[in-house]
Amino acid sequence: MVVKHFRRLKNRLASAIRRIFKKKKEIKIGLYGPVNSGKTTLANRICVDWIGEELGRVTSIPHETREIQMKEKVTIRDDGRSLTFNLVDTPGIATKIDFEDFLKFGMKRQEAKERAKEATRGVIEAIKWLDRMDMVLVVLDSTRNPINQVNITILGNLDARNIPLLIVSNKVDLKSSSTSRVRTAFPGYDVIGISAKTGAMVNELYKRILKKI
Amino acid sequence: MNLRIKLIPYERLKREEINNLVKDLKEGTIILVDAKLNPKEEADLIEETMKVVSEKFSGIELSSMDLAELKETTNFERFKNMIIERIMGKKRGLTIIGPAKIIKKIEKNPEELLLYM
Repeated sequence: MVVKHFRRLKNRLASAIRRIFKKKKEIKIGLYGPVNSGKTTLANRICVDWIGEELGRVTSIPHETREIQMKEKVTIRDDGRSLTFNLVDTPGIATKIDFEDFLKFGMKRQEAKERAKEATRGVIEAIKWLDRMDMVLVVLDSTRNPINQVNITILGNLDARNIPLLIVSNKVDLKSSSTSRVRTAFPGYDVIGISAKTGAMVNELYKRILKKI
Repeated sequence: MNLRIKLIPYERLKREEINNLVKDLKEGTIILVDAKLNPKEEADLIEETMKVVSEKFSGIELSSMDLAELKETTNFERFKNMIIERIMGKKRGLTIIGPAKIIKKIEKNPEELLLYM
């Protein structure tokens, strides 16, 4: 409990200091998370809601996003308040990438190998971009077990850098979704359950972003 | 099937390059470290691993256990651990890192690690 409050206080202080010194700098909000958690679906939802166009392609094949994608000057508004930022969609972070996994999706061997190579570069790029973020939405698939090393490493690195974050428990439209499991796994963090696909609770997400930064 | 497990003291990990660790992992060795890696070390390890992913080496599975996460740990024990960790300069616990071709998945709860091979 004490740790939870201390972390919140520390993040608020860090974010206030950041606001003072980076007032003129463009704010970057990053979407981070494991592979296939719905980061690009959420990026598209935000972009369509506020600027009327999508950011990236979404498929069921893992590692569809293999490069950093950014949409500049996205402005979200709520209740008289607004925030303009650059939205950064990052490749899913993974500890392993096996080209044979792509063969199951009907890819040819050479194409699968190339995709795996690009995916490894994407993971490295995503990690390197962590330092540039002013806030991060950690997008998790709420139908999967949240306690895994990738999630722990992402959260740990954001905490170590004092970057404000919000855990987005995505895919609440699916039957096996459990946002409470995500909350239990990561006590002390702000968690919001949404469906980037259907748009459920996305307006609440915008309110939370405005509060955080 | 032979399984090679190597115990690496955390202090040596700090001294040596992480890519030495990755070399061992590529050769099929499972690594045990006598401490919990910090988030930056975990990220560095993932980065170094991604640089050498190939047809034969698809990456790693890793997981850490932290003594402070144990359910029966009291506030006093946590405080004591914190002091010891400050003196020792490492987070008391255990890290297991294995090649993904050997360790398919690691499931973790605060008190145990379940390795699927």
